[in-house]
Amino acid sequence: MLLQQILNGTVSGAVYALFALGFTLIFGVQKLLNLAHGAIFMAGAFIAYYATINGLPFWFAVVLAVIATGLVSIVTDFVAFRQLRKQGHAEFAAIVTSLGVDLILMNIAQQVSRTQVLSFPFGTFPVEFYRGFGMRISLLQIVILVLVVILVAALYWYIHRTSFGRQIRAVSSNETTSALLGVSSQSVYLQTFFIAGALAGLAGVLIGLQFNSIHFMMGEPFLLQAFVVVVIGGLGSLMGAVLAALFIGIVQSLTIAYLSSELSIAIIFTLLFVTLLFFPNGFFGKADTFARGSRR
Amino acid sequence: MMNFYMAYQPIIDFFLIAVGLGYSQQIALKAGVFSIATAGFAAIGAYTSAILVTRYGIHPMISVFAAAAMGILASWILSLPLARLRGAFQAIATLAFVQVVIALLLYFSGFTGGALGIINIPRVVNTGWLLLAVGVTMYVVWSLNRSKVGRVFGALREDDSVAASLGIPIQGYYTLAFILSGVIGAVFGGMRSLYVFNIEPVDFGFAAMVASLTVVVLGGRNTLLGPIAGALIMAILPEIARPLAENRGILNGVILILVITFLPNGVGHELVYWLRRRFRRPSAATLGRTVTKGGANVSAH
Repeated sequence: MLLQQILNGTVSGAVYALFALGFTLIFGVQKLLNLAHGAIFMAGAFIAYYATINGLPFWFAVVLAVIATGLVSIVTDFVAFRQLRKQGHAEFAAIVTSLGVDLILMNIAQQVSRTQVLSFPFGTFPVEFYRGFGMRISLLQIVILVLVVILVAALYWYIHRTSFGRQIRAVSSNETTSALLGVSSQSVYLQTFFIAGALAGLAGVLIGLQFNSIHFMMGEPFLLQAFVVVVIGGLGSLMGAVLAALFIGIVQSLTIAYLSSELSIAIIFTLLFVTLLFFPNGFFGKADTFARGSRR
Repeated sequence: MMNFYMAYQPIIDFFLIAVGLGYSQQIALKAGVFSIATAGFAAIGAYTSAILVTRYGIHPMISVFAAAAMGILASWILSLPLARLRGAFQAIATLAFVQVVIALLLYFSGFTGGALGIINIPRVVNTGWLLLAVGVTMYVVWSLNRSKVGRVFGALREDDSVAASLGIPIQGYYTLAFILSGVIGAVFGGMRSLYVFNIEPVDFGFAAMVASLTVVVLGGRNTLLGPIAGALIMAILPEIARPLAENRGILNGVILILVITFLPNGVGHELVYWLRRRFRRPSAATLGRTVTKGGANVSAH
């Protein structure tokens, strides 16, 4: 029972990691919070759903959703962030504009789905279970775990081993200097927003499959969970986000199993407060993403 | 005039509640605190009032004062971790605070009625109460603006490092901003619960948070008239066009994006300056405002 809960928690933590990676990537590069990330996640599930019920093969629907959410994320950048970057002092303004994009996307999804809860048709993904060591694991859970491991490794390789990744890291540490050295910050923003949106979209499809429910508000709890994940992992830290996501996933499934789901929310957000109070940079945060103000 | 009032009374009352919650949101932003916790404070105030009135038969007026006390307590506790943080971290933590409040309201269902909330609350609050409360709030905010506290808040908003180097105890002032936001939010939350007959946790979720933020961003973050202008526009817009009311999310979203991008000081602020320019010869002070650094303040030309 305990092992089963830990396994389930690891799987949901893996999906949180996909979601939180994009969120923390945008923060790492831009130093701005993207509150529209939850709506982009929701858009992924919606696009995959409507592609599937319109007769497209499922794998194609997933690819379509991932690319489309990447593009939605780029549009978010154009609408919400680009103008603010030119003006400076964008920290508060970006919270407001990305919230605006969030509201618009949710409203569109609400109109499209007529406020109903949708679910993928039965058999979209083969339902198979394997047993071993007293645990039960579904094919979907295995696929999720494998997919997340591959994607996290690929992202790590991309950021730390390629020339594009070096540009992203340069812009994240100092935009002006890297622009002087010939790095196009525009292309870096396009890349980070596409990657972040695509990861969120994939997470949306996986969550839509796993819980078999897709509705226009589904992004909101994930966005809030992503806050906890990135704060515990350290805002802007990719490895921190992955580890914290697994941790939060396990904590959540254990508290839901042994306590109650409302209490689980309260416990997870209390973790956030405690972390902010004692380790405001998280456990893997870089020294330059300081959370506290000037002189304290 | 009387007919107009009778016909639009509910809209006027909800407008006044929105103005009050707007001030709660504004006073935090005025001090440079990125708090979005107003909805949480309103929930605490609303449940305090409603529980005291329905369960213990306490006089509604006293219950509103109790709500204010709970608001002070909650915002003080919240400020302990949050006055030490800055920017995005404060925003995240206040968002989380609202979620914790809602989760606890759902969990302690024996006391709070859980997801169903509290029903059959007597309606005792009328336009007079609300006008009085808005008046008192405006007076407090107005006199704060003119006092040392207002100037310190302005300094904190512009640059907290400079404020600290000038010997201002910034953590104390951040705490004060939180408490003011908390007490105003809780009072108007409490009055709202004594107006709408029943309350449930959903009333204080994401939508409530967005509503008070929209009112302030639209009206103006630093102007006394900001929340009034913002709440007025948000009350009138859905009335003049029904499709706008159905797509409230899109309306709110577009307003938030356009106003913060192109009129970062808000519509109320622009209106005040337009009126001043219109009816007053430009003084040195207003001329000085036209020169702002780096185009950060594009609108105040």
